Amino acid sequence: MSEAAERTGRAPGGGPGLAGYAGRAVLPIVAAAAILVLLPSVWFADSPYTTSLAVKALVFASYGIGFNLIFGCTNQLFLCVGALAGIGGYSTAILADRSSLPTGASIAASVAIAAIVGGLLSWIAVRRSLGVIFTGIVTLVFSLAFANFLLGQRDLTGSETGLVITGTPSGIADDQVGGYYLFVGVVVAFLVVFRILQLSHVGWAFRGLRDDEMAAELAGVDVARYRVYAATVGSAMIGLTGALYAYSAGFVSPDTYAFQQVDVRVLVLVAFGGLGALLGPLIGAGVLAVVDERLTTAQGEVWGFDVVQLREFFYGVFVIAIFLFFRHGVVHAAVTLARRAGRRRRRDAGPPRPAPSER
Amino acid sequence: MLEVAGLAAGYMGEAVIVDVDVGVGTGEAVAIVGSNGAGKTTLFRAIAGLLPSMTGRVVLDGKDLTRRPAHRRSRAGIAYVPAERHLFPAMTVKTNLVLGAYPGRPDPSTLKLVYDLFPRLQERPRQQAGTLSGGEQQMLAVGRALMARPRVLLLDEPTTGLGPKIAQVAFDAFGQLKKQGITLLIAEQQVPLALSVADRGYVLENGRIRLEGASDELERNPDVRRAYLGVA
Amino acid sequence: MRAVVLDGVVIGLAFGLLGVGMTLVYGLGGVINLAYGQIVVVGAIIASLVIERGHSQAVAAVVGILAAVGVSLLLDLTLLRPVYRQHGEERILLGLLLTLGAAFVIVGLLTARYPTGALFISITGEPVSILGVPMSRGSIWASVIALAVGAALLVFLGLTTFGRGLRSVIQDETGARLVGINPAFVRTVVFALSGALAGIVAVTQSMSGPLEVNRGFELTTFALIVTVVGGLGSVAGAFLAGVLLGVVNALSAHYIGQYITSVILLGVAALTILIRPRGLLGR
Repeated sequence: MSEAAERTGRAPGGGPGLAGYAGRAVLPIVAAAAILVLLPSVWFADSPYTTSLAVKALVFASYGIGFNLIFGCTNQLFLCVGALAGIGGYSTAILADRSSLPTGASIAASVAIAAIVGGLLSWIAVRRSLGVIFTGIVTLVFSLAFANFLLGQRDLTGSETGLVITGTPSGIADDQVGGYYLFVGVVVAFLVVFRILQLSHVGWAFRGLRDDEMAAELAGVDVARYRVYAATVGSAMIGLTGALYAYSAGFVSPDTYAFQQVDVRVLVLVAFGGLGALLGPLIGAGVLAVVDERLTTAQGEVWGFDVVQLREFFYGVFVIAIFLFFRHGVVHAAVTLARRAGRRRRRDAGPPRPAPSER
Repeated sequence: MLEVAGLAAGYMGEAVIVDVDVGVGTGEAVAIVGSNGAGKTTLFRAIAGLLPSMTGRVVLDGKDLTRRPAHRRSRAGIAYVPAERHLFPAMTVKTNLVLGAYPGRPDPSTLKLVYDLFPRLQERPRQQAGTLSGGEQQMLAVGRALMARPRVLLLDEPTTGLGPKIAQVAFDAFGQLKKQGITLLIAEQQVPLALSVADRGYVLENGRIRLEGASDELERNPDVRRAYLGVA
Repeated sequence: MRAVVLDGVVIGLAFGLLGVGMTLVYGLGGVINLAYGQIVVVGAIIASLVIERGHSQAVAAVVGILAAVGVSLLLDLTLLRPVYRQHGEERILLGLLLTLGAAFVIVGLLTARYPTGALFISITGEPVSILGVPMSRGSIWASVIALAVGAALLVFLGLTTFGRGLRSVIQDETGARLVGINPAFVRTVVFALSGALAGIVAVTQSMSGPLEVNRGFELTTFALIVTVVGGLGSVAGAFLAGVLLGVVNALSAHYIGQYITSVILLGVAALTILIRPRGLLGR
């Protein structure tokens, strides 16, 4: 649908109109939700292993949607996704354990903390006019400082052993279908929030900001404000995911939220799906989960090595291949292909024939 | 000596100049005049190789340069001085000039020529190019281009950012260059200045050559007078 | 304490060389080579293989350096072509991601093939006393080589025609093209040069202790920190930052602890970015 049509809700020539517009807005999310809901019955075959893999994929998709908001939409390279998630997870664990707050309130408080931290980092980056690389480095430092804090503050965080969270309902634990549906709900909720932002004036500001920051600034877009806003909401999402993941797993440990485990994956999966694309993180997380699984359980030999040993190698090849061929992400490539196919079909159909009365 | 035939060039698939034919003979000074947006800079960038051409040819002394990248055209003898100058800001005046002769070593007689033409440069050889005034930067840019002993010197809107007195000084210098036998191709909005030095001129309008002829002919042409000289 | 500081200087000189390699590549083309540490490791492993075959350490060192140059050229001529076709932030991002992938590819292959691979160049002889501190011959050699290479680089960049051309590309690439310099060629030469520096660091680092196959990412991180603190694009800055950070690293590791040290080093980089973004000597 053309840009103009999307804004006015009416296709040129008096097409579907507002209903069609609402439909287009919601359709991807509804489709994705439907697939996700039906997936267990079709695919999981009651296997706890598959279920826990799917939960992991959804968790990463959730991280991804938050990161997409921060990096995909406003170009802030936050290499602290793991740390923000860790803030969510550990805060929940500590508050649930040490304070008399009910679980829900603990989670809410943790989300708030994560949101504030993320917003603060963004505010600092904006005030100091840090570019992409420098923002990356500063947030990376934050990640490592946080990891070090977790390891160092034995009394508070349990260091390497982590903390146990009591009171997780059994239906939600890591490899149970209940946990799966919990995260389906989270992903769909995040997608809805993302979509709403995308289609509102905020999304319009994001697009301008990404295309040409200076032009956007001159056109009156308060780049700083939108950046901090995106970082706050995105960080809240990441924090919430971290908290819920801790809750469903029943414990937290530094390893869960380590940079190598979280940030590298999230960056790759979001870029694979497409920076700024709505369903990008979901698709990316799905593909990455499959690839990861293939690499971990692969058997056999290649060039005399055990395939398992070559895992990092294949991962690197995968990363290179994605960014050589799908630079703007899979979603963008698919959309471009569909558009081209549509144009060719219309061209092959030939010009419209004149009505009989005109002959 | 420099022949541009049927040249078309532009940005992002859109042609800004179309079907342009320009010729410059050895020792000639030729002006390209036109208003803002006519395509003068696009034409020059295409000749210099900074912009790939869509169709047409650029031929220097019989050699077809159309497929060559910018740095090879520079070595073949096309010296382009863009309106933005593109000097090396943290390097001294002297170093900028020395680099003009790349890859060769700077020729002392050429350096003397440049200093005679622009004595201001000789007064401050160790000053950083980024700290020079607009007029001095323009002189340095031209001087740097001359250090390569080019076959043809392309000057793109050399009076950009210069007050009228300095602009006249610049064009006096260009007149000197012409007297020394250096071939010039000058793009200018300020038509009287351009035609004062040039033997011939082309009028570029909306990406196409509208008129061509000797300087005094163009100056007398009523359309030119109306459009560019503000005469009713 | 003097011993710790001198140790820091020795390793700092190596950091400096790494920083120079990385900063040159960034200054010229806007590419941050996240595979840089792995290239050092490639040089080390190849050299160790040569030693295993019974050749002399000197031959091994040369072969190792050539291997590092070779891998760098391969990277430049394949992966970096699409990167240079982009501009601005697109280029930075694509460069980061593709070199990250290359880093995984290299370390994956190396650890799969040579899981226990390491290079150790032993320099025999009595320790020499410098400023009252006994330094191993290996450390002395490493420092002398690093200083010599550094000096040669500064001469090359400052006084030769090519060096001047290189600096001009950093300052104004279009201007460089207009005077007949081919920026793509300069970038390739510099990338190969950075590979040579990586190989030299592999050799000098292995003189004070074994350089193992999994040190790649750590080395890349050091190089990045030194580059940032020294100033992106400044060679002298990278050297200065290298030595300073080397001393900080040694003091901190000795008196505080290894893990905190990495946080401190990164913290210094972050502080530099926040307080003085152009680094020590950057523009």
